[in-house]
Order: sequence, then C-alpha cells, then structure tokens
Amino acid sequence: MATGAAELGMREGETLPTVEKLITQERIQSYAEASGDYNPVHVDATFAASSQFGRTIAHGMLVAASISEMMTMAFDEDWRSAGRLKLRFRAPVYPGDSIIASGEIERIVERDGARQVSISVVVRKQTGEEAITGEAVVTLQLASSG
Amino acid sequence: MSVNYAELTPGQEISSRTVVLDAATVSRYVEAVEDSSAGPASEIGSGPTPPMAIAALTLRGVLTDLEIPGGTVHAGQELEFKGAVSVGETLACRATLAQNSVRGDWRFMVVRVQAKDSTGRVVMEGKSTIMVPA
Repeated sequence: MATGAAELGMREGETLPTVEKLITQERIQSYAEASGDYNPVHVDATFAASSQFGRTIAHGMLVAASISEMMTMAFDEDWRSAGRLKLRFRAPVYPGDSIIASGEIERIVERDGARQVSISVVVRKQTGEEAITGEAVVTLQLASSG
Repeated sequence: MSVNYAELTPGQEISSRTVVLDAATVSRYVEAVEDSSAGPASEIGSGPTPPMAIAALTLRGVLTDLEIPGGTVHAGQELEFKGAVSVGETLACRATLAQNSVRGDWRFMVVRVQAKDSTGRVVMEGKSTIMVPA
C-alpha cells in the first residue's frame, strides 16, 4: 500500500521537510545515558579539552538521529521497514551548535510494484559546515492496480 | 580483561546480547534525541520503536564488549531497517568484526551489526566504521 508520501507524487529534485535541533551538553549527557556511550570525549570536559576536538562533542549517532526523524516524518512505516542509510561523520558538533537535517530526492525508480527513492542527506551546523553527509534510500510498496 | 585489538580478526564475533525494547528504554532514547516522529517520550507505549533507537541500543553492546577506549571516533555508519519493531520487543543483537587495520595513529575497525526480533526476523543490519587511538 502506498504511503501518504508516495501518493503526493514526489519528484526528483524535491526536498523533504527539514529537522532542526539545538545540541546542548545536557542532551549529550542524556544520549550517553540512553545509548550507553560514555566515551569521555562526549561527557568529560577535561578529557575532551586534551583531545583533537578541544572540548566535548556530540555523539555522531545523536546527530544522525535527526536524519532518521526526517525520513520517518516523510515516509513513516516504509522508512521503518525498508529504509537504508549510508552516512559519513565529517565534522564534530559541539554543545551550543544548532543542526539542521535536510534531504533532496535524487532518484526515483519504480520496479516490481515498488518505488525506490534515493535521497541525498546532510546535517549542517549553524555555520553551514556539513557535519554529516550521506544517502538515504526508502522503498515504497505501491498499491496494486485493478 | 582488556581487549587486544591487534588480535581481533575479521569474522570474529565481538558481541552477542539481548536487548529489551521496554517503554522506559525507548522513552529515554526518544527524549535524548527529541524525536518528534515518535510522539511524546512520556507516551511511549506499544507503538513502533524509532529505527535509530534500535541501532543505538544494538551498538551499545558493541561499545561494552569491545571496550571502546576514550577518544574513539565514529567515522561512518551504514544501516538497513528491515522491519518495524514494536516497543516491548526483545532483540537478539550480534556484532562481528569486518575489518581491522592500522594507519598512522589510528586503528580503523569496521563492525557489522545485526538485530533479530523474537521470531528470528532480521530487523536491522548495519556497519560501523570507528577509529580507535592506536
């Protein structure tokens, strides 16, 4: 069954509604507790100060979650059951940074009763710097005709 | 016992754990990432688990069993979500080492992860690239 997104008639070049977040040290700490990732580069100011980053940074997966949120809002169940992500973490996100996840439909291919939508995704910081780049692919099952 | 990363070989199982996606665990995740697509964290019941929550909780076992040291950098992540998973489900999560090499001051490791639900259905697969201080 086609999702609402598929029924809207997506086109290559279209962009998805963006997702914006403010990253704070409190949120980084919460993510450490939720994920079990207590790497001191995220939660220990003294350790982080001596690292290549100079201060604490957000977990890559915390930042990447904004991409999945964007995809879920656009494609709902289809994203949960037939979604793929390929991401590169390019720049650290620091407490106090705001991020915006965006996606642009690059390619739509229909085959065997399904529509595969490929989307270039990026998370940028308020400076415009790319924190994460990559590709998301979601396969939409189309309603059968007849 | 600390892990000797140099002795880890491709194909070696790193972690095998059970993860229970109880409402409290999923709520904690939803609240941490402020995932609006999941609805209010306080109202997480028996609905779908955010896919990235499955990934994060699967990777938690890797972090623990691989004894990832401070300063490790997460360089890349691939994920494939193969089936919606309800809150309350129990997952069998497994991780194996795919690559292990040293370049300069860093050890590059690629870890494959997989999560299966209680019926044995694969619901998530992925590949994490991490850089560990050599």
